[in-house]
Amino acid sequence: MAKKKQKAKSPQKSPPVHQPEKAIVYVVGDSPMVEEYITLCSSHGYAVLYDLDDKGQTSPNIDSRLVRKTAKIPGNVSFALELTNIDLEKKRKNLEALDKALPVITAIASSSITVSATEQSSWIDKKSRLVGICSLPTLSNSSLIEVAPTVFSPAETIQVAQRFFKSVGKEIELVEDRVGMVFPRIICQIINEAAFALQEEIASPQDIDMAMRVGANFPLGPIEWADRLGMQHVYAVLSALHRDLGEERYRISPLLRQMALSGTWWKRM
Amino acid sequence: MQTCPLRPRLFFKPHFSKFFENTSTTTTLPMVKHLGIVGAGTMGAGIAQLAALAGIDVVLYDINDTVLRQALERLKRSLNKAVEKGELNSEQSTGAFSRIHPRTRLADLSHSDFIIESVIEDLRIKKDLFKHLEAGTKSTTILASNTSFLSVTAIASATRRAEKVVGLHFLYPVESVKIVEIVQTAQTSQETLQQCHDFLNQLGKTSVAVTDSPGFIINRLVHSFHGEALQILGEHVADAEQIDRIMKAEGGFAVGPFESMDDLGLDSLLNATKSLFDASSGDSRFRPHPVQKRMVESGLFGKKSGRGFYTYEQEKK
Repeated sequence: MAKKKQKAKSPQKSPPVHQPEKAIVYVVGDSPMVEEYITLCSSHGYAVLYDLDDKGQTSPNIDSRLVRKTAKIPGNVSFALELTNIDLEKKRKNLEALDKALPVITAIASSSITVSATEQSSWIDKKSRLVGICSLPTLSNSSLIEVAPTVFSPAETIQVAQRFFKSVGKEIELVEDRVGMVFPRIICQIINEAAFALQEEIASPQDIDMAMRVGANFPLGPIEWADRLGMQHVYAVLSALHRDLGEERYRISPLLRQMALSGTWWKRM
Repeated sequence: MQTCPLRPRLFFKPHFSKFFENTSTTTTLPMVKHLGIVGAGTMGAGIAQLAALAGIDVVLYDINDTVLRQALERLKRSLNKAVEKGELNSEQSTGAFSRIHPRTRLADLSHSDFIIESVIEDLRIKKDLFKHLEAGTKSTTILASNTSFLSVTAIASATRRAEKVVGLHFLYPVESVKIVEIVQTAQTSQETLQQCHDFLNQLGKTSVAVTDSPGFIINRLVHSFHGEALQILGEHVADAEQIDRIMKAEGGFAVGPFESMDDLGLDSLLNATKSLFDASSGDSRFRPHPVQKRMVESGLFGKKSGRGFYTYEQEKK
């Protein structure tokens, strides 16, 4: 497993015309994380194959020689990313397909914030290849990524993931495999509380954001966070917390639920 | 502006900031000239300094003469420091200091246009105080409480002037945090809100209008930040340092939740959480976490006791 990652350490920029076999990363899942990972991986010298609904759009300035859309998963992929948070049925199908198509040594990093990585590993045969990662919109820009090994993940799989993320400029933080992981759980609970406050008409959305930025030194207000992460992802995380932990404290604000289900009308202008 | 017909009904109640923009031009309310402050602790003295620098005459009252004298010492030092730093000239500094009048008799507040109370967070004491304040001041005087977690509605009920009672939630440190929550009860009048808004403008603060409710906005959401981090720690998903690191690197927070708890003091946060839990009639989102309780029981209060989630070496001066 170690040898296949050597090519991962390609130079940062310089897509040479002559490309000796580049390591291939396969990306599948929800928009916009798939697009974000395409940009991230291709800018760090990987060849990227991906599959995405027609709705998703990749950035126009990525190198088309390195990136290709395909529904068929080739066997020579070095590392695979499954980034579905919302439709778990689809996630299961994606993982089953990856598990069948990829050789046993290829690791799969799968977003595990709405269903635990351990539960996901029960869907596939080669359980040892799977690790959970934290994937939410815009987080692929951060310098750190949460990684959740399952009880089946051997040290090698974790190392492969670590080397991959290092090669795209990210440190990893190993956390226990629980839905919501760390950052999504905290931020979504803050957004949920803000939605309760909105629904109780305690303050306006603008004032809530300003109060938290100025008064509590938050980098963004909770409504701004919700805008950035996308209400559907927030709702998916909260639903998973409620489902898995079964505690009343994860009860979802009815207003937030309506916002998530009815689209983006609530967004501030 | 709105894309959905529901929005105005939901989000644009007259008490929100829109209200201020619309009315500030049409009515001119008198500026605050005489401010009374009850309680010369850190917050009270901080507000006194802010107001004095804005040219307002301040009567700073405390029942305890020693507390009052210590507060004046601190004020003097803080004003001198500002001069040293070049933020003020010495005239401004001495001018501000001369505008602060220390008093130990409540009756000396009788001329105030505006009174801010910043005494201990005890509802009975506050209600009693407000009753006295109501009796000893003009009928136009606004009575504001700087409570951070008590019910302003309950405090207002001690007076027969509920339309003049509001919460003004200043945050620590008073001089540097730019925002103040104006807490209105169902009875607070629009005029009172407007006056609070203008007064805070005079002090150079931004204000947000919030409805009286447990934790208002800032403490309520900061509680989520801390509370969920404690929950994650309690389930051993990650340790405190990891959680802080993740929140900073992934979320861009300036301080992690555990550093923040250590800074604010675990004992005072536990008290605030307990009252939030009480005020919400036991909503599980506000339940104090056992980890926090245990730490307070063992005297680990955070920075001020030298140890909380982290250990601090000789930080006390």
